[in-house]
Amino acid sequence: MAPPTPAENESHQLLLNQLDIAQVPRPFRNPHWKPSQRRNKNVKQLISESSRKEASQMATQANSGATTPLVATTSASTDGSQTPADGGQRTNIAQAAQNLSTLVLEKNARAMYSSGPAVTYTNIESAPSLHPSQQTRYCDITGLPAPYTDPKTRLRYHDKEVFGVVRSLAQGVPESYLELRAAHVVLK
Amino acid sequence: MTITSVQAVLPGRFAINSTEKSTAKPPPKVYNAQEPPFKGYHAPQPDGYQRSRSKPDTSAIVIDNGSNLVKAGWSFDKNPRFILPPVMSRYRDRKLNKACQFIGYDAYVDATTRGQLRYAFDPGSSVVGNWDVMEGVLDYLFLKLGVDGANGGVDRPIVMTEPIANLNYPRKMMNEILFECYSAPSVAYGIDSLFSYRYNRGTDGLIISSSHTSTHVIPVLNNKALLSNCSRLNWGGMHASEYLLKLMRLKYPTFPARMTESQMEDLVHKHCYVSKDYDQELSKYLDWTGLEDRDLVVQYPFTEHVVPEKSEEELARIAERKKESGRRLQEQAAKMRLEKLMKKEQELEYYKDLQNGLQTETKKEARRILEAEDLKDEAHLERIIRDLERSIKRSRNRDLGVEESEEPAEEMSFPLLDVPDEELDEAGLKEKRHQRLMKSNVEARQRAKAEKEREKARREEEERLDREKRENDFEGWLSERRTNRQNILQRIKERDRLKADLGNRKSLASQMRMKTLANLAADGPKKRRRGGDDDDFGANDEDWGVYRTVAGEQSDEEEEEDLGGMLDVVEKELLEHDPEFTENHTLAAQSDWTKSLVHVFLRGPWPFDPESQREAHQLHLNVERIRVPEVVFKPSIAGVDQAGLVEIAADIVNQRFINPEDQSRLLRDVFMTGGNTLFQNFDERFRNEFRAFLPLDAELNVRRAKDPVLDAWKGAAQWASGADLAKSSITRQEYLEKGSEYLKEHDLGNVTTW
Repeated sequence: MAPPTPAENESHQLLLNQLDIAQVPRPFRNPHWKPSQRRNKNVKQLISESSRKEASQMATQANSGATTPLVATTSASTDGSQTPADGGQRTNIAQAAQNLSTLVLEKNARAMYSSGPAVTYTNIESAPSLHPSQQTRYCDITGLPAPYTDPKTRLRYHDKEVFGVVRSLAQGVPESYLELRAAHVVLK
Repeated sequence: MTITSVQAVLPGRFAINSTEKSTAKPPPKVYNAQEPPFKGYHAPQPDGYQRSRSKPDTSAIVIDNGSNLVKAGWSFDKNPRFILPPVMSRYRDRKLNKACQFIGYDAYVDATTRGQLRYAFDPGSSVVGNWDVMEGVLDYLFLKLGVDGANGGVDRPIVMTEPIANLNYPRKMMNEILFECYSAPSVAYGIDSLFSYRYNRGTDGLIISSSHTSTHVIPVLNNKALLSNCSRLNWGGMHASEYLLKLMRLKYPTFPARMTESQMEDLVHKHCYVSKDYDQELSKYLDWTGLEDRDLVVQYPFTEHVVPEKSEEELARIAERKKESGRRLQEQAAKMRLEKLMKKEQELEYYKDLQNGLQTETKKEARRILEAEDLKDEAHLERIIRDLERSIKRSRNRDLGVEESEEPAEEMSFPLLDVPDEELDEAGLKEKRHQRLMKSNVEARQRAKAEKEREKARREEEERLDREKRENDFEGWLSERRTNRQNILQRIKERDRLKADLGNRKSLASQMRMKTLANLAADGPKKRRRGGDDDDFGANDEDWGVYRTVAGEQSDEEEEEDLGGMLDVVEKELLEHDPEFTENHTLAAQSDWTKSLVHVFLRGPWPFDPESQREAHQLHLNVERIRVPEVVFKPSIAGVDQAGLVEIAADIVNQRFINPEDQSRLLRDVFMTGGNTLFQNFDERFRNEFRAFLPLDAELNVRRAKDPVLDAWKGAAQWASGADLAKSSITRQEYLEKGSEYLKEHDLGNVTTW
């Protein structure tokens, strides 16, 4: 490619200046807004954090009766317009005979799992398949149906010509083919 | 164990006759690889903001915060005003010493900005991972939407979409940014696919939402999404283009150009489609018939190494120059020849004079003269004269252009041989010896000739016998030839295997070789100790035999060279006489590129010229066109350990809804939205496969969103124009009171988890 002429350079710079928003004033921003330096987290971190939080919450509620039990949310008060408050003032003599913490736990469970477990990012992930159609094997090289597997590289292949290709692959390449279907060996 | 079966099994692909293959396919349609997706400058559109001044509480800024494209506009707009990928390129220009920031498509403007590209979303997920980029994108949107910030903030309600079951942390961060950085009066969150469903007037049904990062199945009853029964498959458009990129990199490991993800995304959008019956279509995908339509050629930019073409004039001048120099050379040669000729003539004259002079001299004097001339005797002189005459004649003839006929070899006679030695003088003896030599020469030649004739006769006899055998016992002859051919093929195969094995250090062949070398090395020092320090290798001719030992079996190369020739002969005979053996069966035809599956896979139904830069810069999409979109239905193809889309949907309908009434309500409206459902045949394939999981009489309706990509935004805008906005928004007051993780639940949004 030919190097750009000065005129082209100049017009490109003009275009860049037009697109660049670094110098544009942004009066709608709060000048005192100072975000935390470490606010960027990846999904892995977030999921492990949230599952830890869930677990700890369960534990604290199981151990003590100090927390306020959640109210059963069967009434349509899930729009969040009102903060869940303590439920009705029911009295039960049998209740007095029970361990307070089990009681709280039971009540919480009833409240939370009224319509199955709560929806979280992790638990809506669909389960592995048991359907036989998912077991169909396809050639790792061409994608065609693969009746054979090479015992040396563990690659599946379509016919003897593809087998020739499989056996002539350079070192490490079979692994990257396996990686495509997540069958590669991961050293930890 | 060695496999000894040598039956020629011809797979179905080879059964097509070669005449069809020999007709050349039409030249391929070529698609160019996509340029970086820069879309030019977008001017701000402040008119919307002006319009919203009249009703600042109900005109909301609607942002569909998609991981592929962020769409933004006003709630009263029909279409989003700005659509851009959530990317940012921010760097400090060293030359101008200033900070630069480019957002969305602008970040693709040139190589520098592309090099600094950062994505807002965590790769492969619908969760925001880089909040600096997110803030940059929001800044850009508010700037372009004309927000003037007169009272120090974005003074309009904001409606945002978020993924299903969004994690708490991203929502918290988004709240903090919107309320604290932009001082928004209120914010509402909703789920994109539910907005899309509402926009398409759905009330009860099953939403299939396949988007950039994930695929969801959501049951909706009575306008309310049953999120606890929804399910997510971790596969979306982004995974598809990533998968295609990996496939292409492995398919063309030495591809000279750089393949980028955005190019692959473009290819997935334009050329991939969902197969109606995957296994059926796949098994025929690389068949020769109609392959030119299934195989797509993608051309990358290239520079052909062209030999500079010379103009007519230049060519003429070069030819003239060549001719000129040739003429000069010819002239020189002619002159030289003439000089030589003259010299020879002078010599001839001299020798002739000498001969004439000798006749008059005495014998003694004559010998003296001859000796002075370095001649042995008169016969020698005669010979010289004869030679000279002949050569002069020859060169004269050449100069005159006369074709010289080969002088017929005179009948040799050897009269002296019969004369006894005693009767001859010294010269006679010499002559006799000479004649004897000549005679044996002639005899040897005759013997060779006779031998040749005998050989010829023998061969003719063989051929005759062969013919006889063929005529009398055709079957036997045929089977003999066939086994012969198979044997040759086997030997060729073994030779190739041996060659291949030598490259492999662990193979038997190379281990034997190493053993031989080790033995030789072990022998060496002993010899040296015995024989002192000097290395006498090579003194004995037998020493060189070690090379033969080391080379082992593969030394007999002449024989190997012949295998191909032998095969040719046998195949020719079979072609001639065997009715079952056709052109298609020859080894040459079978190893032809049109028969090669791998060639078809890599290069389509066209020959490949490795010299051509144009062809080296081409990608061929064939199986990938259906292989890549298929993953949504069969995640195991790409190693995703989850059930396929149809299975998930069937599971939700059949297992989680016991009431048949609910089931049929779900089935009566299966709704598809999201960019990944845009593939051709997606709905049809889903319908066909889903039907197999349902009762026979179940009513099933599958429909697509009017615009699977933009309907989510449109639905959100529609929703924000209604009364729901005020009810479902978190106000600034509520944010300050209840914290940044507070969420108001509504029909189209997520539910609080804790």
